[in-house]
Amino acid sequence: MRNFFLLIRKYNFFIVFLLLEVVSGILLVRNSTYQRAAVISTSNELVGKIYTAYSNVTDYLVLGETNRILSAENARLRRADSVSFYDPSFRVLRVNDTIGLQQYEYISARVVNNSVSRVNNYITLDKGSLQGIQPEMAVMGSNGVVGIVKDVSEHFSTVISLLHSSTKISSKIKKNDYFGSSVWDGENPQIAKLLDIPSHAQVKVGDTIVTSSYSGIFPRDILVGVVSEIGTSGESFKEIKLKLATDFQKLSYVYVVRNLLKSERDTLEAKNLVIQ
Amino acid sequence: MIGEILVQIVRFILLVFIQVLVLNQIEISGVLNGFLNPYLYVLFLLMLPVNINKIFLLFICFITGLSIDLFSGTAGMHASACLIIGFLRPGFLHIIAPREGYETTLKLTMSGMGSSTFLIYASSLIFVHHFTLFLIESFNFLNFFELLLRVITCSLSTLFLVIISQFLTQGNREVSK
Repeated sequence: MRNFFLLIRKYNFFIVFLLLEVVSGILLVRNSTYQRAAVISTSNELVGKIYTAYSNVTDYLVLGETNRILSAENARLRRADSVSFYDPSFRVLRVNDTIGLQQYEYISARVVNNSVSRVNNYITLDKGSLQGIQPEMAVMGSNGVVGIVKDVSEHFSTVISLLHSSTKISSKIKKNDYFGSSVWDGENPQIAKLLDIPSHAQVKVGDTIVTSSYSGIFPRDILVGVVSEIGTSGESFKEIKLKLATDFQKLSYVYVVRNLLKSERDTLEAKNLVIQ
Repeated sequence: MIGEILVQIVRFILLVFIQVLVLNQIEISGVLNGFLNPYLYVLFLLMLPVNINKIFLLFICFITGLSIDLFSGTAGMHASACLIIGFLRPGFLHIIAPREGYETTLKLTMSGMGSSTFLIYASSLIFVHHFTLFLIESFNFLNFFELLLRVITCSLSTLFLVIISQFLTQGNREVSK
């Protein structure tokens, strides 16, 4: 103990110096955010590895609790975020043409939910019946077809994506009007198949496939995709693979197409069935 | 003795005010921004009496730095840089001491020490102070050469002001004699 005091007396100058430096260091760290951040990051590098190893173990012990806290916090933050307020604004895009009769109206909508990884994929849009969306309307993105509206609530609508096992979109080869239907085989979200194209039809890789107006849902000549591969299935039909024009993995805004003449056409076509 | 203390206090107040009210306000736009910021207040620490108690010196350095910090909102930055001066000054004075040692009445001024000794003394401590200061300010060794360049240019501008102030006070003394 005596030696200790002797040591202190001997080096008192240095000790006071160190002490005051520590005090100013503390002031520095407590008062300046830039220096604080730097201290934290440098001390992380020095002690960090030990702490990381330590917390790697301890973190596992409290994962459940941490998850609960984090998800509660996320929910709280989400609720406060402007994203969680419903945006009631919408536009009906419509061209006034005095020569032609308006047949299609376009309602812009935002994709709020989307999936590409399942066999039956659905898309949810943030516009619903209040904005004039009804089931069986066509949905297209800025690049090409997206799907068909399935169900509608007041503010939302669900869309059967083209990436759905039961979607069939009536399509045709643009250059020679041979028609078939585009379906998805459930594998690659960028590739679809065009069925029912007769084997004598002339197709080559790179040809454009667009919608035909036979189904009455899609307007004609909306881009579906581009031929990427041609094979044969059976004797009389070709099996054509399409690279889809719409990138479903980054879909964010779409247009819902309203066919103003649909009911008229449907009633007319229904008479065929009655007669048969 | 009382007069000496009074002189030191007046010098302290004067230099701190010159520093925070004039020199800290210097803003040169363009490339030279940040390269010509003198810290004249260290002159106060350089001119403290030779035989001052070393521990007391440290506290004075700390308080001086802290008062500059107070005005510039950089708590601890100038204080720790000044402490370096307080720490190195006694040893440095010892190294450059004349063979027979210092007279207790020696004034650490250009006229008292001789211009070459004073220049060596002042420039080295100023350099160390500025280096510490800018190092703490940037807090890492990235852009080390820019930092060094800044230390050198700022040290030179401080030294320039120190020399000018020496000539000014020297003149006064001679007149008052």
